[in-house]
Amino acid sequence: MEFHYATEMNGNVPMVPRLTKCVQSKQVNLFKEEKDTKESEVLTKTSCIEKAYCTILSELGENTEREGLLRTPLRAAKAMQFFTKGYKETIQDILNDAIFNEDHDEVVVVRDIDFFSLCEHHLVPFFGKCHIAYLPNKKVVGLSKLARVVEIFSRRLQVQERLTKQIASAIQEALEPAGVAVVMEAAHMCMVMRGVQKMNAKTITSVMLGRFQTDSRSREEFLSLTLGK
Amino acid sequence: MNGHCNGNVIDVMERMKSSMVLCKHETSRKESEDKSRLPALEAAYTSILRELGEDTDRQGLLRTPLRAAKAMQFLTKGYHETIDDILNNAIFDEDHDEMVIVKDIDVFSLCEHHLVPFFGKVHIGYIPNKKVVGLSKLARIVEIFSRRLQVQERLTKQIAMGISEALQPKGVAVVIEASHMCMVMRGVQKMNSRTVTSTMLGVYLDDPKTREEFLTLSQS
Repeated sequence: MEFHYATEMNGNVPMVPRLTKCVQSKQVNLFKEEKDTKESEVLTKTSCIEKAYCTILSELGENTEREGLLRTPLRAAKAMQFFTKGYKETIQDILNDAIFNEDHDEVVVVRDIDFFSLCEHHLVPFFGKCHIAYLPNKKVVGLSKLARVVEIFSRRLQVQERLTKQIASAIQEALEPAGVAVVMEAAHMCMVMRGVQKMNAKTITSVMLGRFQTDSRSREEFLSLTLGK
Repeated sequence: MNGHCNGNVIDVMERMKSSMVLCKHETSRKESEDKSRLPALEAAYTSILRELGEDTDRQGLLRTPLRAAKAMQFLTKGYHETIDDILNNAIFDEDHDEMVIVKDIDVFSLCEHHLVPFFGKVHIGYIPNKKVVGLSKLARIVEIFSRRLQVQERLTKQIAMGISEALQPKGVAVVIEASHMCMVMRGVQKMNSRTVTSTMLGVYLDDPKTREEFLTLSQS
C-alpha cells in the first residue's frame, strides 16, 4: 500500500493521504494505523522545526512574545515544509497515467512555467521561468504534467543546474521522446538580497537531450520559440 | 486607517512609539554579538534541514547551516543600526523648500509572519524646512528598517517617522510597492500581485495638491 500526501491547494496541506487502490475492510484498520503514524510523524517534524525557528528568532534579537511573532515559528515551519514538499512526490504519482499514444512527432513547447525553489546553500528563494520542449516518439503527455514535473523538483533544496537536469531526465525517462530540452531563467535572492547584491542579474541554465543535443536546427528552433518574444 | 497618520507629526510620534520595534537610540542586537550567536543559529538550521528530510552530510549542504545563519543575520542587520548612526551628520542647512523626491529605491525585507522575503520599490518625498539630508541617507534609512522582520505597513510608517524625526521637514511622503513571496510562492500563489502602502505626514497629508504632485512625479 502506498500513501501519498495530497498535492498542495491554496496553502492548505490536508493530512489525509490518498489511496491508490481499493482495500478490503480487514485492511482498513491497518491502513488507519499507518495513516495515524504518518500524521503524527509529520506533526512531530513540524514541532521540531517550530522549535528551531523559535531559537532563530530569539538569536536574531527579536522579541518572540510580541503579537506579530507569536505564531511565526509555526507558520515558518509549515511554509518551509511547503517549499520542500517535492521530496514527498514522485513522477509516477503526478503523471497519473496521462500519457497518450499520438502520432505527432513535431516539437511540443510549454514555455513560461513559473517556478520557485530554495537555494540549498543559503535557504533563500530563487525563482523564474522554465521552458520545456520535447519531440514525441508516439507518446504525448498531458501538458500540465510538464508543469507538475517542474513543481516536484523545484519544491526542494536545489541548485539551478541540478534542477534543470532533473526535470529533463524525468521527462526523458517517462516519455522516451526523441529529444528533450529544458531552459531555466531565474533570479537568485541569495545574490540580490545579500552578498554581491546585484538586482538585475539572472542565471540561465539549459539541458538538451536526444535530438536537441545532436541536431542544431532543432535546438535553434526551440530557443527561438522560447527565448524569443 | 489607510496607512495615513492623522494629527500632527509630534502627536503621531508619541502614539507610534509603542508600535515601533526600536526607539531612536537602542538596538536589540549588537553587531559584536553576531559571531557568538552563530553556533545556536547553525544548530537550529541543522535541525530544520534534518526534519525536512534532507541529508545534512551531502556535499551541497555541509556548510549550509552556517551560510543560512549568516544570511539571516545579514537580512536582519537593521536591528544593529539606529538613525543616529547612519545619518552621520549629513544634514545641511539649505534654503530650499520645494519637494525633494528619491524614487525607485529597491527594498528587500522579511515577512515577520512566514520569514519569507518581500521586495519592491520605495519612493520617498519630503519638503525641507531649512534642512536637507544627503540623498543616500534616505536609502540608508530604508535599509535600517527593511533589514528586519517586518510587515509592509509598519515598514512604510517607520521610514516616514524616521525621516520626520531626523529632519523636521514640512512634510514626508513614503510609498512602497512590493511583491510578497509568502503569497506568491505559497498560500494563495498569486504571481503578479503587488501590495502598495503609503504614509503621508505634514503637508502631504493636509494638502491634496502636494500629495498629487508627489504621486505623479514618483510614479512616472
